[in-house]
Amino acid sequence: MPQQKQVNNGSPVGLDVGTSRIVTAHRVDDQFQYQTQLNAFVNLPYSKMTENVLAKENVPHSIQGSGIVVHGNESERFADLLSVETRRPMSRGVLNPDEPQSLTQIQKIIQSLIGPAKSKGQKLYFSVPAASPGAEDSITYHEASLRQIMTEFGYDVHSINEGLAVVYAELESSNYTGIGISCGGGLCNVCLAYLSVPVLSFSVNKGGDFIDTSAASATGDLINRIRITKEDSFHFNGYFADKTHQALSIYYEDMIQTLVASMKEAFLASRSLPKLSRPIPLVLSGGSTIPKGFRDRFEKALQASDFPIVLSEVRVASNPLESTAKGALVAALSEV
Amino acid sequence: MALRQRVREIEPNHYADWRAARISDPIEKLQYLHGAMTGRKSPVRRLFWRRLSLGAFVLITVSFLLPAPPAVSDASLVSHRQMFPETARKAPPQSFADVWLVEETDKEDVFSNGLRVDNRFSTPNQPRFYQVLDRKHGMTPSGDWHSQPVGIVYHTTESAIAPFDAQRNDALKRISKVTLDGLRDNRSYNFFIDRFGRVLRIVEETSAANHAGNSIWADETSAYLNLNSSFLGVAFEAQTGTDDFEPRINAAQVHAGRILTEMLRAKYKISSQNCVTHAQVSVNPSNMRIGYHTDWARGFPFAALGLDNNYNLPPASLSDFGFEYDGLFRRAIGPDFWKGIPLAEAQMAQDAAGKGSTYYAHKAALQDRYHRLYSALKLTGALEESNDATAKTSE
Repeated sequence: MPQQKQVNNGSPVGLDVGTSRIVTAHRVDDQFQYQTQLNAFVNLPYSKMTENVLAKENVPHSIQGSGIVVHGNESERFADLLSVETRRPMSRGVLNPDEPQSLTQIQKIIQSLIGPAKSKGQKLYFSVPAASPGAEDSITYHEASLRQIMTEFGYDVHSINEGLAVVYAELESSNYTGIGISCGGGLCNVCLAYLSVPVLSFSVNKGGDFIDTSAASATGDLINRIRITKEDSFHFNGYFADKTHQALSIYYEDMIQTLVASMKEAFLASRSLPKLSRPIPLVLSGGSTIPKGFRDRFEKALQASDFPIVLSEVRVASNPLESTAKGALVAALSEV
Repeated sequence: MALRQRVREIEPNHYADWRAARISDPIEKLQYLHGAMTGRKSPVRRLFWRRLSLGAFVLITVSFLLPAPPAVSDASLVSHRQMFPETARKAPPQSFADVWLVEETDKEDVFSNGLRVDNRFSTPNQPRFYQVLDRKHGMTPSGDWHSQPVGIVYHTTESAIAPFDAQRNDALKRISKVTLDGLRDNRSYNFFIDRFGRVLRIVEETSAANHAGNSIWADETSAYLNLNSSFLGVAFEAQTGTDDFEPRINAAQVHAGRILTEMLRAKYKISSQNCVTHAQVSVNPSNMRIGYHTDWARGFPFAALGLDNNYNLPPASLSDFGFEYDGLFRRAIGPDFWKGIPLAEAQMAQDAAGKGSTYYAHKAALQDRYHRLYSALKLTGALEESNDATAKTSE
């Protein structure tokens, strides 16, 4: 697969730096355009022939010592071919502390997507997760590191809470009032916004990676292969004949129940919520919400929990993989 | 699971919510909300008695503030009005249905045309109290004050809308109720027509609802600035389409709108030409453009409500006060351009020619007249639109 052509046209940029994927959003001729790279890389043994093939195919890569690092979308394919795991610059929503190349590789992936700023002061908003229990320091380090990378690219860099970005992307019709949830690879980020102002935000330490890792542990498969199975064929409310799908179903349910319980706890505990004059919408986004039936399963769990806020609707974002980047772009455009 | 939440304390801001709902561009909406939510001021309400005490003062002040005769002379305007086609604004003979109050209880009013008005949510607000401008005498403010409505402004609530089907009945009822509560808190309209065609009284008819903001309308003899007091506000629970800018109401709402209009017209002898939509009357004094609010900029079912198509009437904001319109407004009204707009522009051109003035000089003089009148009448409190005015001056 050839490398995607950059669409950086000098206008503001929205960037979703997710555990699984990095997505950029630009506005071109009043249309939002997106580009995505897998936030992963894989090491290949060096050979001149491999290098030539990768160069010819425009596969993002770099030579490191005696090896070749393939990063972004193609890393998953190579990992599957070689039966190895991809390496991940991020874990649980932040830079992976166990990955020594995390900063180097994430820099390369971001560079392949947006390149340097086209003009001085070009605005860039990037998503950061809300803190999860005990992870406040890692958020600070994560945010500062990413800010530095993009500042070095010449951008005027700002961060935006991931859940709030979902609100900005999806809840214009309710005047940016409602609950935005991003169920990504590392975390589920939740934000309640009132008239665009984030009122309450938090993250839950379970996401797609939790499902993949747990299911892989139960079945003995590679995590990478579980992820591909999940994205290709998993759905809710069905009969699963194989162990992989059964395991995915169990751990998906675990993630949903944890998310709903955390939301109920958070909203009940908060005494500072504004008086809402009407039911508010809740929108789900992120790769983990894509399986067919996720919305229904989530809504059912929410109803069963006696959730304390009256909701007008529960829906999945129109483009779940892109809504965080879109929201970041909307925030950037609103500051121009 | 223990959670570390980030919680920010925040006060409800119903006005910002209401105002933002009328901004169609998502980026502009977000910009507006960022501004409104970071540095908003509480609206200030003047007491009713202060209006009274200011009234006499204003009558004196207005005479000093009215425009100098050479700019827009009364004589030339009067002579020109006679030149302008009679059909443009002249109301046809009015006939009113024979509608009477059959039964009146705290809970409900029943009228002879089948109208039932739910009174359970009725609330008072500031009493109606306003001056009118005499069109035939250079927009001189009337010496006497009025307390009866002379017109109706139709709105959309722009609130959340669920699919209208039986499966969503509970959600539909819940949304209507929550919308109603919000409208009542803000004293937004006199009447609310929900999606089941129920007519609910919000602000008492004797009180002004906060529905029209900065606005202008005129009939044959009088012009009205800021219509909260002079016009009743009727809101349909509906949302303007984001693609076609056209609100959709169902047959039950149309029927309710018809019999409510019939009752109000009969009760107050309201002429058909004074039954207009919010988009027709809304103005922005800070940039002198019409269409600050664009609800019912198109698609209002005048005929189905037993009214003439008032999109054909020249807006006095254009013809008498020199307001303009922009591309956004044209987009809102759509391909079926109001026939009243070219009529108003033609009238402006004729007025200018009759005075020996250029079109633009004449328009500037009319705008100046508006600002003088606006400043003068604001002193009465009759033009008090604190929320709208605050928003506009900050724009």
